[in-house]
Parts: sequence; structure tokens; C-alpha cells
Amino acid sequence: MKRYILTILFLLTLLLPAYGAGNKPVLRMVTSANFPPYEFHDNNTIVGIDVDIVREIAKRNNFDLLIEDMKFDSIIAAVQTGKGDIAASAITVTEDRKKMVDFSIPYVTSRQVIIVPGDSLIDSGKVLKGKRIGVQHGTTGDNYVTENIGEPQRYDDASMAITALLKGKLDAVVLDYEPSQVHAAKNPALKILEEPLFFEEYAFAVAKGRGQLLAVINQTLSQLKKDGVLTEIRKKYEKHTEEVVKNVTEEKYTGIAGDFYTNFVKDNRWQYLVDGFYVTIAVAVSSVLFGVLIGFVVAVIRSTADQTGKLKIANFFCRLYLAVIRGTPVVLQLLIIYFVVFGSVDVDKVLVAIIAFGINSGAYVAEIIRSGIMSVDRGQMEAGRSLGFSYLQTMNLIILPQAFKNVLPALGNEFIVLLKETSVCGFIALQDLTKGGDIIRSQTYNAFMPLIAVALIYLLLVVIFSKLLEILEKRLKRNE
Amino acid sequence: MSNEIILEARDLVKEFPALRAVDEVSLPVHRGEAVFIVGPSGSGKSTFLRCLNMLETPTGGEVLFHGKAIAGSSASINHYRCKVGMVFQHFNLFPHLTILQNITLAPVKTGLLPEKKAVAEAIELLERIGLADKAKAYPMQLSGGQKQRVAIVRACAMHPEVLLFDEPTSALDPEMVGEVQNLMKELAAEGMTMVVVTHEIGFAAEVADWMVFMDRGKILETGKPAVLMNSVNPRIRDFFSKVI
Repeated sequence: MKRYILTILFLLTLLLPAYGAGNKPVLRMVTSANFPPYEFHDNNTIVGIDVDIVREIAKRNNFDLLIEDMKFDSIIAAVQTGKGDIAASAITVTEDRKKMVDFSIPYVTSRQVIIVPGDSLIDSGKVLKGKRIGVQHGTTGDNYVTENIGEPQRYDDASMAITALLKGKLDAVVLDYEPSQVHAAKNPALKILEEPLFFEEYAFAVAKGRGQLLAVINQTLSQLKKDGVLTEIRKKYEKHTEEVVKNVTEEKYTGIAGDFYTNFVKDNRWQYLVDGFYVTIAVAVSSVLFGVLIGFVVAVIRSTADQTGKLKIANFFCRLYLAVIRGTPVVLQLLIIYFVVFGSVDVDKVLVAIIAFGINSGAYVAEIIRSGIMSVDRGQMEAGRSLGFSYLQTMNLIILPQAFKNVLPALGNEFIVLLKETSVCGFIALQDLTKGGDIIRSQTYNAFMPLIAVALIYLLLVVIFSKLLEILEKRLKRNE
Repeated sequence: MSNEIILEARDLVKEFPALRAVDEVSLPVHRGEAVFIVGPSGSGKSTFLRCLNMLETPTGGEVLFHGKAIAGSSASINHYRCKVGMVFQHFNLFPHLTILQNITLAPVKTGLLPEKKAVAEAIELLERIGLADKAKAYPMQLSGGQKQRVAIVRACAMHPEVLLFDEPTSALDPEMVGEVQNLMKELAAEGMTMVVVTHEIGFAAEVADWMVFMDRGKILETGKPAVLMNSVNPRIRDFFSKVI
């Protein structure tokens, strides 16, 4: 059976059009672009040391480069499942990771350093025990602190840890040396301890069994080292770091206006919110329509089975569907659909999100509609049947229109919940509204403005939608 | 009145888990007859009537329409129901549709009539019961008596050969009973074949061609109203002495 499924999946991948538009083969790089200067968003593109190196590898070996941004803890899984070819995200070589992927030769030796507030009494790694330490989830800093010091506070990205440190929620943050410099430069209130916590090596990761690709990467990396390009790239971003420092110290505006300028106006950062807004709307509206479709079918099957005793097998599957979907968190369903169901297939992530949220919402809509069907007087079904209608005709013409009207407020509520649930899209690196705010935050190290802006946009959407629903309800009520 | 039997129950049984509600009831209904079923509460009258329309599936015996047993397939039951209309105690109008739509929905959607014809006939029916001005209204806006008269013409719109009435006036305020009974009288006078379950003995006596007395799931006696109401059976005498 398993082999059968694998064969079908294999055939499906053959049927899919070749990846990428050009004739050249495509190299898909996965990265977590909130780690300056290795990878970060700049003017709506992803740049950084890793990006430049991989771009050079692609160029020298005649690949088209495609960059995909996702959470750091999803990157290894992404190359394992074939969502990406090369993971380039300042990844430290560790024994645990070696078991899951193959690493290239190291391209940089870095160190993990300790960042503390300027007036902190912490002066070395030896006094960290018992302190509140922030790390980026899944990084080597995380592993080191967990094993040698104690449970750290794990953040999704480094800038969130830095923000927490600035707000006094942490005593120290353990982070890679280079991004720490940018953070410290942007925040004069912080300092980097001179003595590093430990040293480590960065390398690129590929899936096991891709020896050919690995050989190509290693060969090119050696070349890059030899002809000095690697050093050039690092220098270029040192300059970038200096520029960032200059920009921070020479900001045009100060205070709230300044914050507003940095977070939304500068470098067209508002574009992240606008793009994210469209994705959020597209995902929420499409998946609620998909969900209502599923919900109607499931509700009719369930009610028919309850009332007539027919459709026993279909009813069993509907109940299974309801139990599984309502019994598991939506973010897991999203991850499973992306990494497992569509694991080896290239598919648009908006579509993945619509399918995941549609299937999720369908379960709740089904029960809402079923309660609506049950709320319609039994006599309505009898009257319909006595006039010669079939069961399904009576359902469509008489029961469902009344049921729908009865459950409209509950359906509206479900849409509002769904709209906000789509904020977990970032887990599959889909840039929705929440993720847009995250990106701004990772660039500006300002938690307040982007968070409030994103919250206000959600609120506004819900208020507008509630108003529209109210109008629809009133129109339907006119019949009574 | 003719001798043609249009609808017939033969040894009809309806058993519920703890109750034999209808116990081997046989009843022939001839074309044009008004048959009234009376009897104490819980005697199985309504269940029997609902079995005639297959709203309750009989557990024994059979229902014959024009001499043919109603087969178990849902298509043939749907077809049969087009010919045998039903009027309910609680009217069961469709609240989300206008009065006109309530009447035209079935003939149009079952393919009996094209929409234009169905609307014309519905307006004619509404004019006849004096409710043409309510065509665009919704059921909520009508009184109980008006609703039941609309429910009756809704059933008539399917051009049925038989109409079944399940206690059509028992949910009405007393002052509205008359208007519904008058409409039923008119239908009976026009030769509509009717089977009526009712507690209104006076009305039954006035309109019925045959009166059927049911008790504990069985038919005790069938006869002309005047005969049945003077039955020698003590149970029947007892019943009539209490209700009249």
C-alpha cells in the first residue's frame, strides 16, 4: 500500500511542470531572514552574507536562485522533505544536525556572545546561571544554554529576544557574534561582552543523499575562499553594519513620529503590511468559502444519517473528520499539510493555507450548520415530503435556507475566528499580515509600533465585517 | 360518489418499540368520499393517517393507491405523495417563503406545472379563499386560520386526488375554526376525496360520508355518522356522551 502511494506521488511530481521559469536548473535556498548581516530583509528583498555566497555558488554553476524565507526551526525539515535544496541560514554544524542533514565545509568561524544592558553586572558566561537568558529557538546558543546553564527563554527570532532584553524582561541574550554587532549598534543601551560564550562553525546543509549537490557546493566554496570572494562579501556587510549604525544615530525624526517613520515609512516598510493584508484576506475569505462548502456537505450527511439511518459509512468518515480536525491545533494541521501531505510536491503556499484553514473551518462550520438544521421544526421536513419533494430537495429548498439564517451569527463568528487564526501562516513562511509585522519588527527592533499596527488592522477588518454581517442579518430578518 | 376505491389500507400495522399504535387496520376510501376518523386521544388515528402518506413507515400491511401497493422505493413514494396531499395540525407553512411561493414551490419544483401557470393557479386559489392581497406577505404576518387555509390550498395546488387532514383545526383559536371548516366543506362538496382526523364531532357529523371510530389502534366501527353516533358499542356510546 505504501509503495503504491509513493508511486502515485512520484508520478504526480513527474506531471508537474519543471520548477522555475527559465531553462536553467533551479537552486532553492531556504533561510530565516531575520539574522543580519547573514540574512535579512532590505527594501523588500532578502540580502546578507549567506545570500551573497549562495548566489555566487548558483552563478558559478549555472543555477537560477530561488530564496525562501521561513522560521529557523523549520529549515532543516525543509531540506529534508525537499522543500528546499540548500539551507543557508548561519547554521552551526552540530552532531545532532549531522544526523539529519549533510553539511558543506564550513565557510565561517563564528562565536556565540552575550549581550547585556549597558549597566548590567554580568561580565562573563560564568555568572549566567540562574539569570533570565534569551535565545533564538533552535539555535546552537539555545542548545548550549540549555545543556550548560539552564532553561532559556526561547524566541522565534533574535530581534524579539533583543526587544525583550530592552524591556527588562531578560538579563542577557546569547546570540551569534555578527548579528549581535548590528543589534548593539542599533541599541546603544546594550553592550556585547568581549569574552565569547563559545566558538562555532557555520556551514550550508543539504538533504542526505545529495552528494552531487554537496560536492558542487564544497568545490565552489573552496574556490571562493581561495580567490578572496568570501572575504570580500564579509567586508561588504561590515560596511553595511557601519551604515546601519550611522542611520540609527542620524535618524531624521525622534519620538513617536520617529518610531512611526522608521517602522512604516522608511524603506517602504508599509509595503510588508499591505502585502500581508492581501494574503490574510485571500486566505481567510477563500478558506471560509471552502469551509462552508465542506461544512454544508458534512452537516447534511450527518443530519441525514441521524434522521433516516442511511449513509452510515459516510457518516462514520464525517465523524472521524470532525474528531481529528477539532481535536488538533490548526497550526499543526497547517504544518502537516505543508510538510507531509504536500511534502514532495511544489505547491503555492497560499493554496496550502487555504486548504488547511478550509478543512479546519469546515469541521466547525459543519457542526454550526447541523445545529441550524436541527433547530428547524420537524414539521418543515414533513410538509416538504408530503408535497412530493425528495429528502434532498426538501433539505435544499426548505430546511437549509432556514438553517442558514438561524446560524448566520455563529457563521460570522467562525469567520472572525478564522481570520485571526490565519496569523499562524508564518509557520510555513507565508507572508501574511502578522508575518509582515514580524519582518518590520526584526528590522527596526521596535516591538510596539508594528504589533499595534497589525492589531489595529485585524480589529478594523473585524469591525467592518461585523457591520456587513449585521446588514445581511437585517435583510434576512425582513422576511419575518 | 363512485364505487372506485382510490386509496386503501390493508391490515396496516405501525409498531413503536413499546407500543402497537396501529393494529391491523383496513380501510377502503372511494373516490369523492369524505371519511372522518374519530376516537379518543392516543387511539392511533393520527399515526394511521401519517402511515397513509408514508410519513410513518408502516411495519406491517400495505397501502394501495388505485389498487397498487405503494412500493418501498423513495421515488415511487415521492410520486405517490404528489397525488395525496396532507394538511397538518400546525400548518407547517414555509416561513422563509412568501404565501405565493409557499403555494407555487411544489408544483414548480416537482415539474407538475411551469412557473407562470403555477402562479396563475395560486392566485386563483388565493382569490377563492379571499387572501389574494396576502400573496406577497410572509406566513408570520397571517392569523392561524389564514395560515391553515393557505396550507390547504398549498396542498390543492398539487392537483391531489386525495387530501389527508391531521386535526386541522385543533391548533386554532375558536373564532378561526369556522373559516377553515367552511373551506373543507366546500372541497368536500366539490367531490374532493378526503380523509380527516378530527375531534370536532359536530363538524364530522355534518360533512362525513363515513365516520370511522378508532380505539387502541383498531377500528371499532365504521358507519354513516347518524348510525355510528347511535352505536350499541358501549365504548363508542361512552365517547360520544363525553364529547357532545
